Amino acid sequence: MQVITNSRRRGATPAPGWSERVAMRQMRPLLSRREVGVAVALVLVFIVFFSMKREFLGAGTLGDIVTVAAELGVVAIGASFLMIAGEMDLAVGSNFALSGMVLAMLITKSGWNPWLALLVALACGAGIGAVNGLVTLYARIPSFITTLGAMMFWRGIALYLSQGWPISIFDDVPLLRWLGGARVLSTAHISAVWWLVIGLIFCLVLEKTAYGNWVFATGGKRVAARALGVPDTKVKMTNFIITGALAALSGCLQLGRMGSMSPVWGQELSLEAIAAAVVGGNSLTGGIGTIFGAMLGAVTMASIRIGLVMVGAPSYWYMSFVGFIVVAAVALNVKLGEVISWRK
Amino acid sequence: MEEVSCQAPLMEGIGLCKRFGRVVALEDVDVTIHSGEVIGLLGDNGAGKSTLIKILTGVYRPDGGELRFEGTRVDFASPKDARRLGIETVYQDLALIENMSIARNFFLGAEPSRRIGGLNLLDMAAMRRVTEEALRDIGIAVRCATDDVCVLSGGERQAIAIGRTMYFGGKLLILDEPTSALSVHETSKVLGYITEARKRGLAVIFITHNLYHVYPVADRFVVLEHGRKVADLAKDEATVDDLIRIVAYGIEGTRRQ
Repeated sequence: MQVITNSRRRGATPAPGWSERVAMRQMRPLLSRREVGVAVALVLVFIVFFSMKREFLGAGTLGDIVTVAAELGVVAIGASFLMIAGEMDLAVGSNFALSGMVLAMLITKSGWNPWLALLVALACGAGIGAVNGLVTLYARIPSFITTLGAMMFWRGIALYLSQGWPISIFDDVPLLRWLGGARVLSTAHISAVWWLVIGLIFCLVLEKTAYGNWVFATGGKRVAARALGVPDTKVKMTNFIITGALAALSGCLQLGRMGSMSPVWGQELSLEAIAAAVVGGNSLTGGIGTIFGAMLGAVTMASIRIGLVMVGAPSYWYMSFVGFIVVAAVALNVKLGEVISWRK
Repeated sequence: MEEVSCQAPLMEGIGLCKRFGRVVALEDVDVTIHSGEVIGLLGDNGAGKSTLIKILTGVYRPDGGELRFEGTRVDFASPKDARRLGIETVYQDLALIENMSIARNFFLGAEPSRRIGGLNLLDMAAMRRVTEEALRDIGIAVRCATDDVCVLSGGERQAIAIGRTMYFGGKLLILDEPTSALSVHETSKVLGYITEARKRGLAVIFITHNLYHVYPVADRFVVLEHGRKVADLAKDEATVDDLIRIVAYGIEGTRRQ
C-alpha cells in the first residue's frame, strides 16, 4: 500500500504492469552488482558437482575448497586491488614461489628466527611489486609487458636459488602451523581465516575509505583523477607493492600448509588470480570491480579444482572448465548490464 | 559582488610568453579577469587558447611575463598550487569518472571521513546528502547521488563538475569547450549554470568555437591568433558577426572590409 500511495503522490499513473516495474526497480541494485555473474557460476558449479557426487557438499570437501580458495584468493585480492587501479601483475605466480622459497631457505638453511624470516619473505614480495611499479610507472611500459618480463625473471631466480629442487621443512615450526598448518572447523586450514581477514580489510579499504575512492578514480580515468589532485602514481605504486606482498603471503601460506615449496609451483597462479578477479566482475582495464567478487571468483575456481578430483575426472579438465566459466560469467555480466540499462 | 567589484582584478597575466622549442605558442599576451565576469576566450585551433589556460592553471610555467592573483604575484609550480587559490578547470570529457557514483565524483580528492574505531572511513551518508543539496542549491536536479555518472547526459556531467567547483569555493572557473558535444536543450542549461556561477561572484573563462553559445553569457571577449591577443572587447563593443569575422580572418581582415 505504501508503494501505491507514494507513486500516486509523485504523479505516476499506475499503468498496467507498474508493479512489475517497481519490482524491477527493487531488484536492480541486486542485479546490477557485478558479482551476479560469478554467483550464478558458483551455484551452477555446485549443482553440477553435487548432482554427480553427494559428498561434494560434505565438510571434508568444503574444507578442501576453502583451503585452495584461500591461497588463490589472497593472490586474487591483490590482483583485483591492482586491476581496479588500472594495472595488472603477471609476476604474482613467480613472486609466490620465490617468496615462499625465501621463507623456506631462511628457516632451514640459514636458521633464522621464523618470524623474522616471514617478514623478509613478505618484504621480498613487496620489493618485487615495487620493482614492477617503478619500471611500469617511470619507464612508461604497460604493466602487462613489465610483469611478463618480471614473471620470467623471478622464476629464473627462484630456480637458481634452489637449483631446481623443492625445499622442505621437516621440523615442527610453530610459524608454519600459524600460517597454514593448523586446522580450523575440523576440515579447513587456518589460511582460510587469514584470507577472510585480508578480504574484509581490503573490502573496507576499497569501499569505505578515501584511498579506495582514489583507487577507483585512478583506474577509471587517470587524467581526471590527477586533475582533481589524486596522487595517481602513488596509488598505483602502492597497489603494486600490496599485490606483491599478498602474492608472497600466499606463498608463505602454502609453505605453512604443505611444509615445502618448489620453484616451479604457481606457474598458472597469475592467470588464475586475474581470471578470479575478472570472473568476479572486475574490469580488465580498471576502475570497476570489487574484492568480494574476486574472492567469489577464487572460490568458484577452487570448487572446480576440487570437484573434478572428486568425480574422478582427469585434472587437465580443470583448465578447460575454468576457461569456460571465465567467459560465461563475464558474458552474463555484460548481458545483465545491458538489460538493466534498458529498463532504466 | 559588492566587495570584489571595486578591488584589483581577480587574476592578471602580464606579457605572458611561452615557447616550445622554436614554436612560439604565446607571445606577450595580457589578460585581466575580474570576479563576477564571464570571459569568452576565442580563437582558431592552434591560436594559443589552451596554452594560455595551461599557464593560468599552473600546468605550464610561462617563459616570460608574470601572473598576479588578487593583486599579488604568483608562481605556480603545479596545477595543485592554482587549485589551492581556487582556480578550477572543467575539461570537456575529463571532468568526471564514469564508473563512479556522483557523490564519489563530487568529493574526489576531498573526501569527508569519520573516525570509526580508529579508522578513517568515508562518511557516505554525508557525501550523498551534501552532493544532492549542493547541486540542488545551484539548480541542478539529480535523481540520486549514488547513481553512477555513466547514466548522466553530457550536460548533467558538466553541471556536476561546475557545481563541484562552486561548492569547494572556486574563484575562477575555466570551461574548456563545455557545450561542444551537447544538444540544444542541454547547451542552454549549461549556459544557465554559467550565469548562476557568475551571479555568485565567480569569474568564468569560457573557451569555445561557437560564438552563438558564448555571446549571450559573456561580458568580454578575448581573441587569440597565432599566439597573440588580437582583440579584447566588451560585449557592447562588438556584435557576434564582428567577433566571427575577427576569429575567421583576424583583425587585419576586419579592417580591410
